[in-house]
Amino acid sequence: MMENLLEIKNLSVSFHTPQGELQAVRDVSFSLQKGEVLAIVGESGCGKSVLCKAIMKLLTKEASIKSGTIFANGADITRYTQRDMEKLRGKLFSMVFQDPMTSLNPTISIGEQIAEAVRIHNPRMTKEDVFQRVIELMDLVGIEDPKQRYHLYPYNFSGGMRQRSVMAIALASNPKILFADEPTTALDVTIQAQILDLLKEIQQKLETATILVSHDLGVVARVADRVAVMYAGKIVEIGTAEEIFYDPRHPYTWGLMQALPSYAKVGEKLHTIPGMPPVLIDPPKGDAFASRNPYALAIDYEQEPPMFRISDSHYAATWLLDPRAPKITPPIGGLAHV
Amino acid sequence: MIRKNPFVYYSKKIAIFLLSILILSVAAFYISRWAPGDPLVSYYGERVERMTPEEREWAEEKLGLNDPIHIQYIRWLQNALQGNFGISFKYKQDVMEVIGGRLGNTLILGGIGFLLIFAGALGLGILCVWREDGWLDRTLCKVGTIITCIPEFWLSLVLILIFSIQLRWLPSSGAYSVGNKNDLADRAVHLILPMIVTVLNHLWYYAYMIRNKLLEEVRADYVLLAKSKGLSKKRILFKHCLRNIIPSYLSIMAISVPHILGGTYIVETVFSYPGIGTLSYESARYQDYNLLMILCIFSGALVILFNIIAQIINERIDPRMRENEIVESTEVTEVG
Amino acid sequence: MSEILLDIQHLTHQFRLSKTAIVKAVDDVSFQIRKGEIFGLVGESGSGKSTVARCVMNVYPPTSGNIYYQGIDVCEPKQYRQNRKLLQTTRQIIFQDSTSSLNQRMKIVDVISEPMKIHHIKPPRGSLRKEAEFQLRYVGLDASYLDKYPSQLSGGMRQRVAIARALSMEPALLVADEPIASLDVSIQAQIINLLKHCNLEHGCSVLFIAHDLAVVKYLCDRVGVMYHGKLVEVAPTKELFESPLHAYTKSLLSAIPIPDPRLERARVLQEFDEHLFDRHGQLVEVSPDHFVLKGGAK
Repeated sequence: MMENLLEIKNLSVSFHTPQGELQAVRDVSFSLQKGEVLAIVGESGCGKSVLCKAIMKLLTKEASIKSGTIFANGADITRYTQRDMEKLRGKLFSMVFQDPMTSLNPTISIGEQIAEAVRIHNPRMTKEDVFQRVIELMDLVGIEDPKQRYHLYPYNFSGGMRQRSVMAIALASNPKILFADEPTTALDVTIQAQILDLLKEIQQKLETATILVSHDLGVVARVADRVAVMYAGKIVEIGTAEEIFYDPRHPYTWGLMQALPSYAKVGEKLHTIPGMPPVLIDPPKGDAFASRNPYALAIDYEQEPPMFRISDSHYAATWLLDPRAPKITPPIGGLAHV
Repeated sequence: MIRKNPFVYYSKKIAIFLLSILILSVAAFYISRWAPGDPLVSYYGERVERMTPEEREWAEEKLGLNDPIHIQYIRWLQNALQGNFGISFKYKQDVMEVIGGRLGNTLILGGIGFLLIFAGALGLGILCVWREDGWLDRTLCKVGTIITCIPEFWLSLVLILIFSIQLRWLPSSGAYSVGNKNDLADRAVHLILPMIVTVLNHLWYYAYMIRNKLLEEVRADYVLLAKSKGLSKKRILFKHCLRNIIPSYLSIMAISVPHILGGTYIVETVFSYPGIGTLSYESARYQDYNLLMILCIFSGALVILFNIIAQIINERIDPRMRENEIVESTEVTEVG
Repeated sequence: MSEILLDIQHLTHQFRLSKTAIVKAVDDVSFQIRKGEIFGLVGESGSGKSTVARCVMNVYPPTSGNIYYQGIDVCEPKQYRQNRKLLQTTRQIIFQDSTSSLNQRMKIVDVISEPMKIHHIKPPRGSLRKEAEFQLRYVGLDASYLDKYPSQLSGGMRQRVAIARALSMEPALLVADEPIASLDVSIQAQIINLLKHCNLEHGCSVLFIAHDLAVVKYLCDRVGVMYHGKLVEVAPTKELFESPLHAYTKSLLSAIPIPDPRLERARVLQEFDEHLFDRHGQLVEVSPDHFVLKGGAK
């Protein structure tokens, strides 16, 4: 049994809005092991970003953890204050954000911004050592001629280079866990793959456990060891990448995959998921996906499905997996993908 | 790297400055002549009413008021270029001398007020952001807004009523007591009330601006990255966010000069404080053309000068603005 | 071969940055769109694909070159004036960001019926409101949305409203500038289906600009690949994806993520060396309907 670096139990996060309480994350549990890449996929508003920011306590004041516990590196950090978190951020976990254009401070040179991250957890390091470490980090993330580029500003860099710089900052204190929130969404396709490969390479070299948040199943397929599918604030299916891609069990996972143009045959209409995701201010009773689910059972409208176990690593929350449910042939699964 | 020649750069700014002053002088000259009123009144006082038409013509001739406006302007400009701005009709003295005696008073009131306002505004702005949406922030926002809404003259009168008339603690007018011209303590006491009004009136306006700028910065994406690398709230606020608002802070400071200056003019009038403000008011009222012109140009020059300074500051501080030329030059080489 | 609807000849568009700096956003681009086809234009950000769209819609005047729409030279002021109504009604555009491209202060009903009001077109279904309702239903939204404001709708719904507005003019050419880039996968599918439907049912030609090649592969009949303002390859979709010729196209195709872990991990990225790019090349027809940029005389 490998040690769990991060263990989330029954976590619920709510935002207090003028319209009422918005339940962005609802009763989410998962664990992250050393050196693995866990991808969280889902559509916008499903709570995947909120989940990561909640763990790092980067949410604004309107958000609060309603219930549940967060264990990180063996400690219960659920009630940690911002001051406690400052000691963990960067060292235990850090984060790469979606838009490299806005996530760097425009008025401070790239090298200085990395150096700041190096110094924060090693205040006694000499100037010379900090500089060396920054150069080393820039090398690690594939920034060529680091010495010349140290003094350049973010606007001198292209999108891909900026995202590499952000990664250097995130990795400055050798964090055990890296959150990558849509790290390639804002980049061109050709750059996308380079950044993903870099992420994977670093993750293997430094054994950093990674939580990758993405809406793009292609991105997930490239780097993820395990995949969690989120819908309406809940994890509806979790399993290894192979299990999720080749043997998905939740109707929402089916819908997501079928909607991809790569799954459609030429001349055929693309599959769509009818309707809209529910508003999480007053989530519907039962399974939140029921009203959009062509395979919905009567019980879906009444009672929330528990996580059914498919294998030791594969779980899905759908009543279809109940032994009493009628047998249906999944529209995809065991995918013979061309 | 191609850098702009500093000589060319500053020459350009100076040229813009001079041109603006020229345009301002034309505008001020024409508007003052077109405005209704009799300039002779300020020179001859009551006597004007008893003048015969011949006497009037002679007086106007003497003061150079009967030529077409453009001739008058050219004459004024010629003299001005030689440093001669004419005499004040009312004081019958060279205008420079009239101003010279009062300028110091205004600079002390305006200058110290200005520094207090901006030091205070920065402090309050930071405090509000640090305690964002806490009771302190909310109270400050409300109280500040109320104070800013109080008209200057009304606030002045209330303060005079309380501190000068009721409590008799502070003098209600002037810059010094009769005969105490060189007594610094006496001058300071006279400054207190005008200063309080000047500062109170502008403080929150700028504090609120700084608060909002800073809040915008605190919500920027790079703050999330800075947080996630483990920086403390204090360090992020002071090292990252504050640094990024400095250009806006400085340009707000520079652009506010006329605003605060205008404020002191009103305060000066209410407190009969012998400064440029009272003088401007009088000169406009009595059609004291030469005095009005020099005051207009002086105030205008300050405004334009500080705007140009604000621009230079912005270009110096923000690397994106500073190296604009370099970015473009790389594009040129790319295009070939 | 069917009739040509839009003929772009040697289109060049330069942006002037300062007195001395010029950027050629579009550099000598020529291609045709036939009646009833969906033409995909792909490339990275900054490759000039949106600039082409804007030139086609007369938003930017081209620096040189010609754009013929149904034989009308749209960049020639006289011809433009003479055919103004035709050009403004039968060419329609939808943008990526429906948040900013719909007026936030107008109700949906007004958003959709505005073009009809402007062009004094008598609504075929009686009133403007009825017409708006019809268009809205066509794109899959019901009448209850008529009196809502854009901010009350989700991104996918707003994009449908933008499409409904464009369709109300029964366009012959629909320019779609990254219409799905900011949408979720399942919503993307709805919009793609809708575009396909418009194309099949109404014979409306589409200039589809995107960076997502999987979508282009599914939706388009022919594809043009742009790189640094140049069109490097044009071919029927199947042929382009099966036998790309230009090195950049190959690199771009190799970068498409595949939503299948085994295939995706086996995928090798082919990098394209920027220095090998010859911006003075000419498009050459190598096989019927398949054009590729070949190094020309320098």
